[in-house]
Amino acid sequence: MDNTHRLIQTSYKLKDSVRYRRAKNFFYDLLENPKARIRPYFDVFMILLVVSSVWVLIYDVRHDMGLFDDLFEWVAVTIFIIEYLLRFWIYNDSHKVILSHYERAEFINQPFHAWPALREVLAKKWEYMTQPLAIIDLLAIIPTYRPLRFLRIFLLFRLFKLFRYTRSISEFVKVLNEKRIELFTLFIFMAFITFTAATALFFFETDVADGKGVGSFFESIYWALVTMSTVGYGDITPHTTEGRVVTIILIIAGLGVISFFTSIIVSAFSEKMHEIRAQRVFSEVERKHIDLIVCGYGRVGQVVADQLALDQRQFVLVDPLENNVRLAKQKGYLAALGDAADSALLESLGITTQAKRLLCLTGDDVANVYITLSARQMNPEIEIISRANHRENVTKLRLAGADHTVAPYEIVGLIAAEYVGQPVAFEAIYGMLTGQNDVGIEAVRVRSGSVLDGRCMADIGFRQRKLIPFGVVREGGCPADGSSGTYEIEDRCFHFNPTPDFELQAGDLVVMFGHEYSVVHFRDCLERGTL
Amino acid sequence: MGRSDTLIFGCGPMGQEVAEQLIGRKLPVYLYSSDLDRVAEVLAKGFDAAVLDYTDDDKLRQVGIGEWVKVIFCLFPEEAKNVFLTLSARALDPDLKIICVSESPQSGQKLFAAGASKVIDPYEISGRKVHELIARPMIVDMLEHTVFGKHLDIAEIEIPSDSCLSGNPLSALDLGGRYNVVLMGVVDVEMSDSLIFSTSGVDHKLDAGDMLVVIGPALEITRLKGDLEEDRTAQLLGG
Repeated sequence: MDNTHRLIQTSYKLKDSVRYRRAKNFFYDLLENPKARIRPYFDVFMILLVVSSVWVLIYDVRHDMGLFDDLFEWVAVTIFIIEYLLRFWIYNDSHKVILSHYERAEFINQPFHAWPALREVLAKKWEYMTQPLAIIDLLAIIPTYRPLRFLRIFLLFRLFKLFRYTRSISEFVKVLNEKRIELFTLFIFMAFITFTAATALFFFETDVADGKGVGSFFESIYWALVTMSTVGYGDITPHTTEGRVVTIILIIAGLGVISFFTSIIVSAFSEKMHEIRAQRVFSEVERKHIDLIVCGYGRVGQVVADQLALDQRQFVLVDPLENNVRLAKQKGYLAALGDAADSALLESLGITTQAKRLLCLTGDDVANVYITLSARQMNPEIEIISRANHRENVTKLRLAGADHTVAPYEIVGLIAAEYVGQPVAFEAIYGMLTGQNDVGIEAVRVRSGSVLDGRCMADIGFRQRKLIPFGVVREGGCPADGSSGTYEIEDRCFHFNPTPDFELQAGDLVVMFGHEYSVVHFRDCLERGTL
Repeated sequence: MGRSDTLIFGCGPMGQEVAEQLIGRKLPVYLYSSDLDRVAEVLAKGFDAAVLDYTDDDKLRQVGIGEWVKVIFCLFPEEAKNVFLTLSARALDPDLKIICVSESPQSGQKLFAAGASKVIDPYEISGRKVHELIARPMIVDMLEHTVFGKHLDIAEIEIPSDSCLSGNPLSALDLGGRYNVVLMGVVDVEMSDSLIFSTSGVDHKLDAGDMLVVIGPALEITRLKGDLEEDRTAQLLGG
């Protein structure tokens, strides 16, 4: 068996091995996957390790810690090396590269050569090794090697390793990176001034008597930077009038450079701040697996949010108005500033991944239709409940893909009409239906094999339990004989006020009115299997 | 005067919605607004509407407030207008039913202080409904299709003065056997507006003038109503 053959066999074995894949996934979660639960713990551990190893390094300069120092260093470096190798390993799947080469060769009926495949594997790994963060990792390890002890200063690179583990530092770098054009302009300007001033000073001050003059061009560059940054050590000072004039001009220019620099940084952060905050919200949504998105924190949104919070349900709010978002945050709700019509925003809130429900509750029907439509396109499974402010928009929302619509004005119309006709009944019932009273409407599912399964309505004893049976929802269509008191609800059938000999089946939903205590007691009885 | 008109102030979408619902129940409805364009719009849709300066008490009297009008709706989009109209109307007729919409809980309190008999907060109700849709979708679906879908009605039925039911306890009443209705409870109008549930521990003694609250198909309810009026209900008293 030649080596090429063995290589392919090993690759297939790796591809098939569940254990190999599981191990790789585990280390991916640990080291790279930003969504993994385990990752933050690892990050904190590594931060502590890096900081303490650098602290040991500093302490060691003046004190002798003897064996402990060596031992600690040894442990830390071992961990760093293992981490480096693991990252090297999980960067890509080498066996896949080999197999894709092999399968391509098989497909076009050409002999398979191991070398090109191996070259690509190496190229991929080299790609990893030349990444800035990977180089930093390596530099954090190498100086420990005895013959290279003079590189000890590079142990400070371990501090740069912190980039990997903390998000805020990398965000800082990102902010600076976004302003690189401005910073580059500033740098050119600064270099120009420094160079001009240094040349002028060198020109005027070299030949000053008493040897107090500028010794070299490097010294005059050093002087120019110290002066321009307004640090001004005063170890090199101009003595001639010409030199002092140069200094005056340099100081004024320096003030400009400093303020320019400050303003770039400040504006970069204030522009980025809202994005950074949004990022926090997105990551929290992801971490907590929040599956309910509420668009619009207007009046309806506020009521819904309060109710959801009472139920201790997790949700995330989206509103384009800063004021509304602030209100929501004051109440402790998770809220993102932005327009929900923006599909990138919905994407970040996980509409294609973990989201199960979307509520469009803005006061603008056009926005509701748009959000509904784009959400439906992004996720055909999601349940969408939308607010319809005008009756004629209900059909449009349905067409756009809303599962349910709620129309505030229509509700007012209904209530108003009932109120005029029969105020007493309606007020009482409405309070109950909306759950504002202690007595409410509740549903109990008949599970197969439970005490309810196969029992007649008369035998359950609703009356003694202070419950009023309202009806039974049964899966499947209604009986065709058109018996009174049955109503179709989509693909289910509602039997209103079932007769005493109505027999319950598994899967039925018994709807009843009653005080919450009675319902709880009833459920409790069912759980214990005693009626 | 035998008239009992319902006046709606404010011809916005909400006014139209309410008017439509009331007309659906064969109630005489008039829409008023101070905005000419709005009035023209509703007139075009076939409603009875007119321009009216609601700040003028004489004008309000002319359209019947304080005389034959029993119910008014204040559905202006502006809170202040609703409060003003409620105050004026209450001053003209202490018994008038004034129904207002409010945008927030605070304005609801103001409207009550101004004399409104009922304040509807559409946003509050919609919000609760959305929440119900999330928390108990099956029940909401069922109610949508039955009670709010016109298959089943909620009705209040007054016990006539000479009914043989009066004097009997609520628990003795057995409607379910003879009528396909569910008896929710009873409201003793003389005592309070709140519903005494038929299953609550309190066994209320029925009394002429009490309102029975039932849910059921319209036909069954009419049958029950008829029987109660003609006092053929002695057999309803089970044990």
